[in-house]
Amino acid sequence: MILAVLFANVEGNILIERFSGVPAEERLHWRSFLVKLGADNLKGVKNEELLVASHKSVYIVYTVLGDVSIFVVGKDEYDELALAEVIFAITSAVKDVCGKPPTERLFLDKYGKICLCLDEIVWKGLLENTDKDRIRRVMRLKPPTEF
Amino acid sequence: MADSSGTTLMDLITADPAASTSGSTTLPPSSVSASATSASQQPSGSVTTTSSSSSSGKTILGEKKSKRATLMQIQSDTISAAKAALHPMKTNIMPQKQKKKPVSYSQLARSIHELAATSDQKSSQKQLVHHVFPKLAVYNSVDPSLAPSLLMLNQQCEDRTILRYVYYYLARILSDTGAQGLSSGGGIPTPNWDALADIDAVGGVTRADVVPRIVEQLSAEASNADIEFHARRLQALKALTYASASNTNILTRLYEIVFGILDKVADAPQKRKKGVFGTKGGDKESIIRSNLQYAALSALRRLPLDPGNPAFLHRAVQGLSFSDPIAVRHALEIISELATKDPYAVAMSLGKLVLPGGALQDVLHLHDVLARVSLARLCHTISRARALDERPDIKSQFNSVLYQLLLDPSERVCFEAILCVLGKCDNTERTEERAAGWYRLTREILKLPEAPSVSSKGSTAESNDSSKASKDKSQKTRRPQPLIKLVMRRLESAFRSFSRPVLHAAARVVQEMGKSRAAAFAVGLQDIDEGVIVNTHSDAVDDTAFNENPYATGVRRTSSVSSGTGGKDTIAGLLASLMEVVRTTVACECVYVRAMVIKALIWMQVPHESFDELGSIIASELSDPAWPATLLNDILLTLHARFKATPDMAVTLLEIARIFATKVPGKIDADVLQLLWKTCLVGAGPDGKHTALEAVTIVLDLPPPQPGSMSRLTSVDRVSASDPKSALALQRLVQAAVWFLGENANYAASEYAWESATPPGTALMMLDADKMVAAASSRNPTLAGALTRLQRCAFSGSWEVRIVAAQALTTMAIRSGEPFRLQIYEFLNALAHGGVQSQLSEIHPSNGEDQGASGTGLGFLISPMIKVLDEMYRAQDELIKDIRNHDNTNKEWTDEELKKLYETHERLLDLVSLFCYVPRAKYLPLGPISAKLIDVYRTKHNISASTGLSDPAVATGISDLIYESKPPPVESDALDDDLVNAWAANLGDDGLLGNSAPAMNRVNEFLAGIGTDAPDVEEENIISRPSVSYDDMWAKTLLEPSELEEDDGRSSGTSSPDSTGSVETSISSHFGGMSYPSLFSSKPTNYGASQSSERSGGRRYGGSSSIYETGSPIREEPPSYASSVMQRYESFENPLAARGSQSFESEDEERLSSGNPQSGKALYDFTAGGDDELNLTAGEEVEIEYEVDGWYHVKKKRPGRDGKMAGLVPVLYVNKS
Repeated sequence: MILAVLFANVEGNILIERFSGVPAEERLHWRSFLVKLGADNLKGVKNEELLVASHKSVYIVYTVLGDVSIFVVGKDEYDELALAEVIFAITSAVKDVCGKPPTERLFLDKYGKICLCLDEIVWKGLLENTDKDRIRRVMRLKPPTEF
Repeated sequence: MADSSGTTLMDLITADPAASTSGSTTLPPSSVSASATSASQQPSGSVTTTSSSSSSGKTILGEKKSKRATLMQIQSDTISAAKAALHPMKTNIMPQKQKKKPVSYSQLARSIHELAATSDQKSSQKQLVHHVFPKLAVYNSVDPSLAPSLLMLNQQCEDRTILRYVYYYLARILSDTGAQGLSSGGGIPTPNWDALADIDAVGGVTRADVVPRIVEQLSAEASNADIEFHARRLQALKALTYASASNTNILTRLYEIVFGILDKVADAPQKRKKGVFGTKGGDKESIIRSNLQYAALSALRRLPLDPGNPAFLHRAVQGLSFSDPIAVRHALEIISELATKDPYAVAMSLGKLVLPGGALQDVLHLHDVLARVSLARLCHTISRARALDERPDIKSQFNSVLYQLLLDPSERVCFEAILCVLGKCDNTERTEERAAGWYRLTREILKLPEAPSVSSKGSTAESNDSSKASKDKSQKTRRPQPLIKLVMRRLESAFRSFSRPVLHAAARVVQEMGKSRAAAFAVGLQDIDEGVIVNTHSDAVDDTAFNENPYATGVRRTSSVSSGTGGKDTIAGLLASLMEVVRTTVACECVYVRAMVIKALIWMQVPHESFDELGSIIASELSDPAWPATLLNDILLTLHARFKATPDMAVTLLEIARIFATKVPGKIDADVLQLLWKTCLVGAGPDGKHTALEAVTIVLDLPPPQPGSMSRLTSVDRVSASDPKSALALQRLVQAAVWFLGENANYAASEYAWESATPPGTALMMLDADKMVAAASSRNPTLAGALTRLQRCAFSGSWEVRIVAAQALTTMAIRSGEPFRLQIYEFLNALAHGGVQSQLSEIHPSNGEDQGASGTGLGFLISPMIKVLDEMYRAQDELIKDIRNHDNTNKEWTDEELKKLYETHERLLDLVSLFCYVPRAKYLPLGPISAKLIDVYRTKHNISASTGLSDPAVATGISDLIYESKPPPVESDALDDDLVNAWAANLGDDGLLGNSAPAMNRVNEFLAGIGTDAPDVEEENIISRPSVSYDDMWAKTLLEPSELEEDDGRSSGTSSPDSTGSVETSISSHFGGMSYPSLFSSKPTNYGASQSSERSGGRRYGGSSSIYETGSPIREEPPSYASSVMQRYESFENPLAARGSQSFESEDEERLSSGNPQSGKALYDFTAGGDDELNLTAGEEVEIEYEVDGWYHVKKKRPGRDGKMAGLVPVLYVNKS
């Protein structure tokens, strides 16, 4: 289960978050935990360099893309390596939408599209599409495989 | 509300949609420059833009009130929007054209309604796509009242992008938001729309109104077989899966649609194509079919599985041959989930697919990592299934596929395969399975059917006979290889990776290897001789323990295979070289990776090896201030788990724990540490006990922390408490250790007064102190050693430590026989009067603190302790005198005299019980010689030995558990049934690890791998740690009354005055019950004996040693110590008066009763934002029960519309009358 996908800006404000299977009362803890994790560790990290953390049997993989930091939290089959796949799908899709590692402004400009592509990547807590061409197609309401 | 500079979400909605009418799609620059509120979570009440000092992300977690204000704002916005939608009198698109004015939710909603009506116009479409929909995405959830417009758009609009958004929002409306109106969406919080619609009686639209319509329309679309429509069909199906799974109607419908699609597309004969997206260049029909197959399986994957329904399995198995890789992944996931429930059926229906050339073999080369992970799990489940025991051929086929996955290019898949081989699957693993896993890993050989990169599928695992093997000898990868070598090589290369996730995962795999290895040792697979050369182990080995294992076929286990590198590799050698690589990984920058590496090292540590290296690694690691406390405690829990797996390691583990205690006293949880000490002490066995106790007490020998000078030191024995906070924490640890010592020294030394044969007379003759010490240490070095340490603490520690040390000494004095008691007695006397102090303090430098008038500051506190010993000695003297008198005059003891003697005995017992736990039935405060007389009296008057029913220990039957040697029968008449049941129920638990105490829960949780709990963030201003203050606990227990019912096994706040109390008193009873002797019971536990009210408040307070637990010992000391001392004092005057259990009880009752309700009146309407909150209507009369953090807990006179009677409301909403 991918428990959470979360985008935050440099100041640690949360831009997008998607939780699944996390009770409402725990979300607050997760938010602050992730934001703190990012604040502690993401300084000077290269774009798309993956960082890892774990809490009990929950894994967290996070990275930086432009002005935006991306966190993915998962457990069970979504361990750190599977989450790395997830985050790779997300970063490549975001880069695809924005055309480059986004500034915060650009990210917000493309906010709607990013929400849509996230919707195609993570579907009810499970990884769905990973291929960026395919994501681009389904975002435009085209069939996943074209004829 | 704190704000942050820079652009934020609010900026996004700040952009004026009207701008697009001018043709520009970019946002006006003015809004860019405007710094916005930090909007993501807590937009300020009015969404105006301000600029002020920037703040960190923490501000988003600000207080609840401003959130509430926002909600009110949104609420009013929405109502007006809904009204506007109902009465569309305004014609103009955007009512507000001013710059910088953010678009409110209501404006967005209104524009959707309006634009939907004009969706055929280009400009409206543009506006929807570029402004309205993206902005709407910022909000947490979507108002159901938008649904009609969305559905209209869905029907009428042609624009693909708009439609895509429409599906997105319809899905969000469909998804079950739960009672709080909180969807998974995140973003700016929105109110509970349903509650809102309910309030707005005129035009409210609730989810219940619109969901059937949405489902209706979407299912019609999902069933539309039109080819041109099929992309929309997929999206409609996807959106439908978001509908609540609890609604059986919708669910049935969904199943119908999904299986309907599969009926049409799944059965058609397929030519499977290879490649990433195999259908490129395929004909249109087959592509559409493949797309539909994909959509149907994806939807099926999101629906609840029905294991009993053969259709699921059938379709999923068909799905393995689909050409869409994601469809195959979902099919595999479904199958592997089904396999855990019914492996037999799954294996049967997979049938030939697993054979070479079958679909499962193709998956090996499928470019989808998660599909292969599922394959590994599936193979593991089937090859280990009991249900398939009579079909070893099937099992071995799956096993062979599993082993092939070890060669997978992806680390994720390879590691999953390793874990499967090791027997780690889910959290329900058993030791045997783990042990067998280690055996498999070290013994079995993978015969490679082919090199992994070659994708020719004519591979044959089974038919690959030896001739072929010899033919391929030139090719290294084709040679049959022992699993262990493959795995080791793979892990070593993973450890050279730069990617942190890979390092973390590799360390985790090594940790799991350690676990399996420990399990193998524990199960006693004695033939695991790690010196065996890997390639040449003989068949004899195979014939011994595991010949019943049916995984032989397909995997050759012979000694004939020679390895190209020469047959010199031993398992030990391989492991050693792996561990070398693992150790170097400690250099990784990331603490989480390092933590995992340390855990792996701890697990790979075996008892007989020297742990110096591990010790120094940990010591130098801990000097790094970057370690978060949670992680360190996690490692401590790992130590605990390691101990559980291999009790022999107690001493090693204690040594490691000591490193933690000395290096990072401020970060580790004293509870967890104590627990570790205890379990190790119990598990160490008779010989190890002395060592185990020594390991604990080394904490006491630590020099006092010297601020500032420790930054670079890595020596184990130096304390790194450079800041006051950790110095304080170290102090607490020392207290804990001192207490632990006093509590358990007698157990460790097996020295009990009631088992001592030495008559007191002998001891009384040795009044010379030196002789006494000599006698003591020769008699029992363990106890003498503990005694010496405690004495030292009583002098040289801080005040708090001295108190605890004095208490610990008293406990020992009471429990030990002579000469220890006398020694302590003399020492305490000296302490009280300060006589020896001057001479001793030269040896042990004090910490410079004012020692007080008595020299130690303890005089007042010690005097009751001395008094009880005084009384005992005086009574003993008198008894001896009496006996002599009787002997001299040759007189029988009269009943009167015996009665007096017995009364003295009982009185002393009562006194003694105030200080520490002793078994009443056996303890003889008058010395061994009194035994006969007391016995005589008892038999005469028919008093059973443990009649002291007023003794809480007896009342709960714990005293009877104290004996390992011969547990006397529990007196059933002294117990009520509930107690017995509670006790018996707990006996069922693992004796080592009951699940009662708070720290225990954490351990168990850790061991079970439960992990969804949100992490604590150690941030002083966000979340206070749960145990910080009693008041918090109190509030919490009030708020969660239901929790109490689950707690009955937990040590409740018992209140006997000597509640220097053990943290896990209830555990002690487990130990007792499971034939571990009494080491922890300083005081009796009462399962459920206390009232639930008391339990709620006192659980952490009285029960769990407030001394060690609370943040400030000085503040917390008085209630637990001083008051009990006072009480002890009183009870000397009136020893048989009511026993001290009222102090905390009464306090708790007082607190309860003090909350007499006040009435109040609701000033405004209030909408509940959470389960614990309560809807209010203005003017409503309520009863205020208590106040918590700006919230009242109120009770209504009659239930509200939502049926709720009581809950939380903001203080400002209620007028107290």
